[in-house]
Amino acid sequence: MDYSKQIQEIASKLFAENKIDYFVGYKQNSFDDSQVPFLITDPAEIPKLVFTDKSVFNLANYLKPDHTKRKRVGLVVKGCDSRALNLMLTESQVKRENVYIIGICCEGVLNDKGEKAQNCVECVMPDPVVYDERIGTPTGKREYTVNADIRELATKALEERADYFESIFANCIRCNACRHSCPLCYCAKCCLDQETSTLYHGANTSSGAMHALMTWSLHLAGRCVDCRNCEKACPSHLPLHLLHKQNESVIYENFQQHLAGMEKDNRGAFYKYSLSDPDDFIL
Amino acid sequence: MSVFLVETDKAGLQKFYEEIIGKFETYAPVEKFGKFDYKKVSKLDECDPDSPIGMTMSVKPLFFPKTAKVMKFKEDNTGTTVSETDEDPLTGQRVILGVKHCDARGLQVLDQVYKWDYIDTDYQKRRKNTLIISTRCDKADTQCFCTSLDYDVENSDAHDVRIVNGLNGKIYIQAVTQKGEGFVKENLSQQSAVGSQQSLEEIKKHYQSFEASFRLKMDYKEVNEKLQKLFDSPEYETVSSNCIGCNTCAFICPTCHCFKITDEKIKDTGVRYKSYDSCNNGYFTLMAGGHNPRPVKYRRWRQRALHKFVYYKERFGMNLCVGCGHCAISCPVNISIFDVVNQVAKV
Amino acid sequence: METEIKEAQGKIVSAENPGITAPADWQPVIIGILCNWCSYAGSDLTGTSRIQYPPNIRIIRVPCSSRVDPWFIIKSLQTAADGVLISGCHPGDCHYISGNYYARRRFLVTKKLLNFIGYHENRVQFSWVSAAEGPKFAKVVAKVTEDIKKLGPLHRYKKENF
Repeated sequence: MDYSKQIQEIASKLFAENKIDYFVGYKQNSFDDSQVPFLITDPAEIPKLVFTDKSVFNLANYLKPDHTKRKRVGLVVKGCDSRALNLMLTESQVKRENVYIIGICCEGVLNDKGEKAQNCVECVMPDPVVYDERIGTPTGKREYTVNADIRELATKALEERADYFESIFANCIRCNACRHSCPLCYCAKCCLDQETSTLYHGANTSSGAMHALMTWSLHLAGRCVDCRNCEKACPSHLPLHLLHKQNESVIYENFQQHLAGMEKDNRGAFYKYSLSDPDDFIL
Repeated sequence: MSVFLVETDKAGLQKFYEEIIGKFETYAPVEKFGKFDYKKVSKLDECDPDSPIGMTMSVKPLFFPKTAKVMKFKEDNTGTTVSETDEDPLTGQRVILGVKHCDARGLQVLDQVYKWDYIDTDYQKRRKNTLIISTRCDKADTQCFCTSLDYDVENSDAHDVRIVNGLNGKIYIQAVTQKGEGFVKENLSQQSAVGSQQSLEEIKKHYQSFEASFRLKMDYKEVNEKLQKLFDSPEYETVSSNCIGCNTCAFICPTCHCFKITDEKIKDTGVRYKSYDSCNNGYFTLMAGGHNPRPVKYRRWRQRALHKFVYYKERFGMNLCVGCGHCAISCPVNISIFDVVNQVAKV
Repeated sequence: METEIKEAQGKIVSAENPGITAPADWQPVIIGILCNWCSYAGSDLTGTSRIQYPPNIRIIRVPCSSRVDPWFIIKSLQTAADGVLISGCHPGDCHYISGNYYARRRFLVTKKLLNFIGYHENRVQFSWVSAAEGPKFAKVVAKVTEDIKKLGPLHRYKKENF
């Protein structure tokens, strides 16, 4: 999967026709064979743009006002990235006319070990759901499968699971890289960033980490697109996908097979209800 | 610098480590989720003193904990009473194994600020009561540039004891400080040969390609001069454009020392915590009343780069950045401070 | 083996931490978050009807069950609570029309996630209690208190300085 040439051509055209102020793509990392996000304002930088199966980061993150200041942006999105972008459009975070979307029909990206990433193996939508230009051949929606790690953890005893998760929370350093790299975490003042810690733990304690990570994943439930930006960003390598995939599987099973960002104007699972939602766990 | 050397081999070194772990409170790199962090160990096979450079967190949390209880307080109708917490201040005698040279240098650099306008007594005690055993790296990792900065890696005195490799599988335990010499003499129970001038030469031969293994080299003096003149450079904006504003670089860095104070209260009793903070955070400079002098991303990056390469050197005579490369490896988008300062200084 | 059984006898073992036990007469602390228009009024009716229910529950009033953010539950469990009960209006009777429908979805996901990370599934329970259901509220509180008593004291994930 190498679409570097096509993307460079489209970027040149967009800058030449003065349709964008920023172009967001990928460039080669300076010290290993991975790729990093690349924001250009100067067309002279276009030759550095690449797109291969190492283009992992979800670039929809850069549509937050902090990065591209609500200007016109052209960006490259894969299947999962476009779902996040679709949800950002639905939630009125981005104006549709300010974004020029180059959608890639993704064949899956590689992880650090060089194997196909887990979220690509379990991908439900490799094709872009919203785009101005589409590159690659669409292969259609895939069947949803419950994440392998979730299935394995569900078979373990309560105490063993609790010990495992406690070790995860103890290793969190509260750097907030997970939230800053998630495209759907766009709150101008995140509730977990509060200086006064009467609500949340401002300190780096393990119980504070549990509270923060759990609340974060529940605020993201029904909106997470499984791009794994959070997990890749985490400096302590915590397996954050466990929390999000658990929520996703409960939502898929119980709420009309809802998956985040699939259709236009389809908000997260918690923004709607059905009269026949499961009720039997309530006394 | 002391040349007290003891010649041993891999098995001898393992035994030395085992003896230390048995006798003293020892911290060493322990792996969790693919990353190595310094934790207390009770057996040698729990840890890896030779952990890979890029995957090892810094030793800073053992001296400046990521979260520490400062005091307890209780309010009643007579006023507020403040008392000591029952948390272990980590000021007991302890040994740290497997420290990297850049990390050890980081502690020397941090010492300056902790004895400057306020003497942090807990930090001083921890430094005094900790014995640092470094393992010298054979070659550079992809993001290292320690040899380009203002300290001598080969003859570093930032650690008490260091483990260096010689030729043909020989390993040398080198006592660098007087404290280290006393420690080695007391605790190396096995019979090992004391090193000689020839040993020093063998060590030099082993590390002769060390300098050449560095992909990154820079002239820090030139960078320092140029940065002072290029405060308004538009390069800062380009070079920090893909930064996502998380706190990772400052938390991982062996020399970053910013902190925040938070109070955790339940009814009328509470604890005051001191934990890591980062100048890259959007709310770092937020003041009561709502004013925020550095709301824009590139200005925060400019402050970070200048603090690391200019301001600290002006005040304390040492470069705050030690060239370990941890920030670049842990950064979610792999921004390297090396690239930042070199791009701005256009060298 | 025999001595172990004797020690366990007459003691309650914490469900998440089998190493932690409490004496047989241990009383749990349960935080009840009740919606103002139905459940809170219902609990009021229980009181005025002089129907007895266990005193372990401490009630917090919210305008609607939909007000309950997952962090209320997590914070309660991290501090004083051994269990949490959240109660709202019956579906279709919400004072704000549809609040409890949204809440119902959130409750299911929160409950499953808390169980996933190591809380026993009976630590957090939900109920629909209307303003006229005084006896039902007493039954609900009695059931929840009984369930939590069997689970023992909650020790997992407690806040450090608590």
